[in-house]
Amino acid sequence: MAIATNQTILIVGGGISGMTAAIEAAEIGKNVILIEKRPFIGGRVSQIYKYFPKLCFPTCGLEINQKRIKQNSGINILTMSQVASVTGSTGDYEVVIKTSPRYINEKCTACGDCATVATSEIDNEFNYNLNKTKSAYLPYSNAYPQRYVIDESVIKTDEGKKIADSCKVGAVDLSMQESETTLKVASIIWATGWQPFDADKIQPYGHDRFDNVISSVEFERMMDPMGPTSGKLVRPSDGRDAKNVAFVQCAGSRDHNYLKHCSRICCMATLKQTTYITDTYEDGKADIYYIDIRAIDRFEDFYQKIKNKDNVNFIKSKVASITEDKKNKNPVLNGVDTEGYHRYANSYDMVVLAVGMQPAMDTSILPKDITINEHGFMENNDNNGGMFAAGCAADALDVNRSVQSATAAALKAVQVVNSQS
Amino acid sequence: MSDMINQYRNNFLKEVESKVEEGEWVKNCMQCGVCAGSCPLGDAWEHTPQKIFMMIRAGKKQEVLSSDAMWMCTSCYNCIVRCPRELPITHIMHGLAHYAKRLGLAPKNNPTLKFAQIFWNNLTKTGRVNELKVGLSLYFMNGFVEGIKTSLKMQKVGLNMIKNKRFSIAEAWGGHSVKDKSGLHKMLKKAYDLESARVDK
Amino acid sequence: MAEEIKTGCYICTGCGIGERLDDKQMQTIATRDGKAKFVKSHQFLCSDDGVKTINDDIKSEQLNRLVIAGCSRRAKMNTFEFDNIPTSRANIREGVIWVRPDNDESSETTQEMANDYIRMACAEARTMKQVAPSEEQSTINKNILIVGGGIAGLTAAIEASKAGYQSSIVEKSGKLGGFVANLYKSIPHKSPYNEPQETQIENLIKTAEDDRNITIYLDSIVSKTEGAPGRFEADITKESGASKTHKFGAIIQNNGFTQFDANILDEFSYKTQKNVITQSELESIAKKGKGKIQKPDGKGEIKTAVFIQCAGQRSDKENHLSYCSGFCCSTSIKQAMYFKEQNPDIDTIIMYDDLRVPGVAGEDFYRAGQKKGIVFSKAKVSQVTGDGDNLKVEFKDLILDEDTAISADLVVLATGLVANSGPDPYATPIELDADGKEIENPEVQKIDVTESVLNLQYRQGTDLPHLKNGFTDSHFICFPYETRRTGIYAAGPVRRPMDILQTKDDATGAVMRAISVIENSNKGRAQFPRSGDLSFPEFRKEGCTQCKRCTVECPFGAINEDEKGYPIFNEARCRRCGTCMGACPVRVISFANYSVETVNQQIKNCDMPDEFDEKPRILVLACENDAYPALDMAAQNRIEYSAYARIIPVRCLGSTSVSWITDALNSGYDGIVMMGCKKGDDYQCHFVKGSEMAHERMAKVGDTLESLQLESERVAVHEVAISDIQTAPALIEDMAKVVEKVGMNPFKF
Repeated sequence: MAIATNQTILIVGGGISGMTAAIEAAEIGKNVILIEKRPFIGGRVSQIYKYFPKLCFPTCGLEINQKRIKQNSGINILTMSQVASVTGSTGDYEVVIKTSPRYINEKCTACGDCATVATSEIDNEFNYNLNKTKSAYLPYSNAYPQRYVIDESVIKTDEGKKIADSCKVGAVDLSMQESETTLKVASIIWATGWQPFDADKIQPYGHDRFDNVISSVEFERMMDPMGPTSGKLVRPSDGRDAKNVAFVQCAGSRDHNYLKHCSRICCMATLKQTTYITDTYEDGKADIYYIDIRAIDRFEDFYQKIKNKDNVNFIKSKVASITEDKKNKNPVLNGVDTEGYHRYANSYDMVVLAVGMQPAMDTSILPKDITINEHGFMENNDNNGGMFAAGCAADALDVNRSVQSATAAALKAVQVVNSQS
Repeated sequence: MSDMINQYRNNFLKEVESKVEEGEWVKNCMQCGVCAGSCPLGDAWEHTPQKIFMMIRAGKKQEVLSSDAMWMCTSCYNCIVRCPRELPITHIMHGLAHYAKRLGLAPKNNPTLKFAQIFWNNLTKTGRVNELKVGLSLYFMNGFVEGIKTSLKMQKVGLNMIKNKRFSIAEAWGGHSVKDKSGLHKMLKKAYDLESARVDK
Repeated sequence: MAEEIKTGCYICTGCGIGERLDDKQMQTIATRDGKAKFVKSHQFLCSDDGVKTINDDIKSEQLNRLVIAGCSRRAKMNTFEFDNIPTSRANIREGVIWVRPDNDESSETTQEMANDYIRMACAEARTMKQVAPSEEQSTINKNILIVGGGIAGLTAAIEASKAGYQSSIVEKSGKLGGFVANLYKSIPHKSPYNEPQETQIENLIKTAEDDRNITIYLDSIVSKTEGAPGRFEADITKESGASKTHKFGAIIQNNGFTQFDANILDEFSYKTQKNVITQSELESIAKKGKGKIQKPDGKGEIKTAVFIQCAGQRSDKENHLSYCSGFCCSTSIKQAMYFKEQNPDIDTIIMYDDLRVPGVAGEDFYRAGQKKGIVFSKAKVSQVTGDGDNLKVEFKDLILDEDTAISADLVVLATGLVANSGPDPYATPIELDADGKEIENPEVQKIDVTESVLNLQYRQGTDLPHLKNGFTDSHFICFPYETRRTGIYAAGPVRRPMDILQTKDDATGAVMRAISVIENSNKGRAQFPRSGDLSFPEFRKEGCTQCKRCTVECPFGAINEDEKGYPIFNEARCRRCGTCMGACPVRVISFANYSVETVNQQIKNCDMPDEFDEKPRILVLACENDAYPALDMAAQNRIEYSAYARIIPVRCLGSTSVSWITDALNSGYDGIVMMGCKKGDDYQCHFVKGSEMAHERMAKVGDTLESLQLESERVAVHEVAISDIQTAPALIEDMAKVVEKVGMNPFKF
């Protein structure tokens, strides 16, 4: 790895924001170190099936960004790494980074021999644990770096030895240990992104109890042809077609009990997801339970397009509870349509909870004077010195705005570097 | 449209804020309706809490205070738990009921209201509930014939309660009481004066 | 003198290639058919030892072309990069062994497949030339032209200066600050997001004025812009008429928006009632009164103010705005707070359909507004009328489900914004006749009253293209700054509706892009998406028939025409998609490392079994960014497809020359599958129009097929997305079935 200096920009988080910031800075010749907690970069967007409002595929933009990264010698990527501590000030930060062992080194050619001999299975984190993957695995087809990962659980087992023996290029290294690296950097961009709000916490919705109540992020994985249901839109309980589907907005957002803020993306995400249903099944039907539909600027056009469909209905209501019809495992939504006053107990094949965005940043490692608002997002201001928040570390943002935010953050970091020389 | 002038003005909202217990929360409702849906007695309501709050904002004083909605509340606290805006809905509903009663706008024959009054009158007399009298008052609340019918229906329950010493026939001749009855009455009067001073301000 | 071509061909036998394929046979093919001077197999080519071997051989054997046979060109990309040596990758892992079953029956066709990829790669390498950096950018200017002196322009200039770059702000009006200068206060940008805050615009103006890196031109417009990134020349013309040409490296257009004209809102009596005003008018009143808001008609105090959201917006009525301007909900909350600040007893009612205050700050501000006693009512306002002193607002309360009305002293209309974009170059598409003359379409009236902002002297119009609703956005979700005019970036509400905080972010990001284009043009490197590409279109003037197809079809308006109608390529404006190359009917446009010839040679160098061998050949031209990765991923997942397919990645389907198709059919290919990205309104082509152009061109291939008396089904053009991991191989299979049905191509020799 290139030597970090007071000219280096550290980017924490390799999702769409971190990638963007890294590319922007590196393409004008800056030295960038990009660290990512997971074994691959691309973050949450790599787990999304389609983007709104164009209904295009995230992998497409990621492919371009990956190519830009592959070609750029100014970007060094450390996966499975997290910041342990930060000290110092603008232009001169000292950052300690902890890297977990991947048990596969850079010799890996992604040939897949290790996965062939691996016998045990682990939860597939990429698919939100909806299915299993081998203990030696590539997180997903287009994962970058294209390098397998060996799960901790098999390291000291015979299986681990078999896996090591299967590799003809000597890429498996079972002796890898957690390591620590100390870096000197000029500026830090926090692009730590978000995590889906844990739907299990919303007890009245029964995500933890009812098979046919899923979260919006799980729904994205389900639609992916390479996902847990091979792209089939079916009920988790019995594999029957999920044709009549309800969407529950603000599942966790705008709620003092969970996340107080509005997560911004969920309205559009749901509007998008209704097309999964109406495009899959001619007789598909979607009902959206909402408080306000927040489809600003040209997203409004998308909203109107969906609204004009006969098979998509909008009900202004925060759903009170979900129960399960024992005989057919249909989730039943209970509540009151607030426009007028209509009580409902509506039964569906499946229910999707539009879960909110929770900031994923571990604020405990940050110096005390960094501004973190009550919702856990980092607020960009002059007091933060050479540290900048990008994307969902700064606010609940969609992809377009995350990229905008990351591009701006890249310039702020470039300013710090340029003022050093 | 005669009272258009006062519609959606804050007059009634402000009145609720100052005179109804926890009334200052009403303006924070965002009309999501989760309270309405969470209420186990929801079916029986003429107006849901969220609708009541909107009516308050719309200045519908008569309609709100004569509604039977807040008399239906059984204090299960489901709505408070679920409200995304922290509104103490149960308390507000009781506050509204109380305020309606005070202004004489509460629905006249509402059984909850009647029960509450009977219970209160009974309790405040001696500081202890006279079960027998409360029971009988309730049975005869809607007239003599109804009272006899109900008494007969409840006969078995009553006898069992006597057998288990849950209440005593002797209560009919006075019953038990707190030690310092006049002290209690003084206390209650003081509380009433304080409350009146606040509400009538 | 033509250089002697010395190709080194390296065959990796790792990843199971050696077990499945006969590398000796491939070596022979490379030498015999591929004319490689030097051939080696290696069992682990991407290892340090493998790469060292190649590097040593480059020196000792003076190799100047390389063929790497092994994994896909997308794998180990930087490992197999050798200092300016044209390198071709023969994809015999993902492209062969991973898509073919491992059995005796298929081993012959699988080997043939690999052999062909060796032939193709050798042919490609032979035809590729070394990329010599363009000389266009000998001297470049690093200054940034900022069009518009509002909050976006000021932010851009200040941020650029902080990074060490000079800029010039050109402001049409006589003062800086734009729309924000008119505001009393702004919505909060700091937690706890509960009070309106100072706009700080005066500070910002002063900072810009005091900055030596920033030159300010007031009462000025950009009357003419020529050139390309790194060498833009712009005429800055004063109101007085005085004009001077200045040089710039990049341009940011942030000239903001205009208020929607509320005069057409008869239902709200805006024209007739003095006390019906717009949000922006309320700002002026508040600013003038330093927070104290006077009733516009001067008669008495305001006791009740009603805000009507979405006035003339989110509406399909004629002349209304279909979109949501995004910031009006929080603006109304802020303005209602002005009244509460003045006197908490003033009643403020906001009538909304959906309250759109998204994100962290929005919801906090909404709650803060409620706490201050602002009444929110989900309502549909039907009309506002006045009877002298009072206004009557009639509406349906959607919660209480009743038609009702209230009286008010003031009604504020949340009318949104209209982008100050220049005229859209593509409002009327350019069509050419056979002689390259523009066809005048009498049905399309070319009345665009919009004044040009940039006055670009480009072949394809004076301004940035619009995307939707008159905004100059690019509609790239992943790459929001990439406009269709390289080096010119839109920022702020001219791009899409946005509030102050977002606008500042947007302007800062636009500066990053501007700096990037400056620094990369300096080195002859392309911009997104082929970032860093040093190749550029070269053109043989002798062969050119001045048909102008290239200048019209370039998705980025990069090519101008000289007075005789020959194309003038502006390399720094070029995104290297090759659409011009595909458009050229006489094949005079090429890139050093990607040309009609490099692909043609690959097509021709496949071994073509004769008709009676029953081994058809299917040519697949796949977009390198989407279809090709999809096929790679299919291979990873061991999804099989026909052994008769030969896949060639193309930069963009738009670069596909019709000659490839005719030549392929003439040389015996039985079927051709083209895979490009989705076209149309929601296009996914990163070169915007490339895929569309290809589809258009290929629609005309029917004539060729007819003249050859071949079935039209033999050529198929598909929209393939990168996620079509199962579909893409299936499309190849489909073509195999078509060939089975219609029979072999008789033109095999």
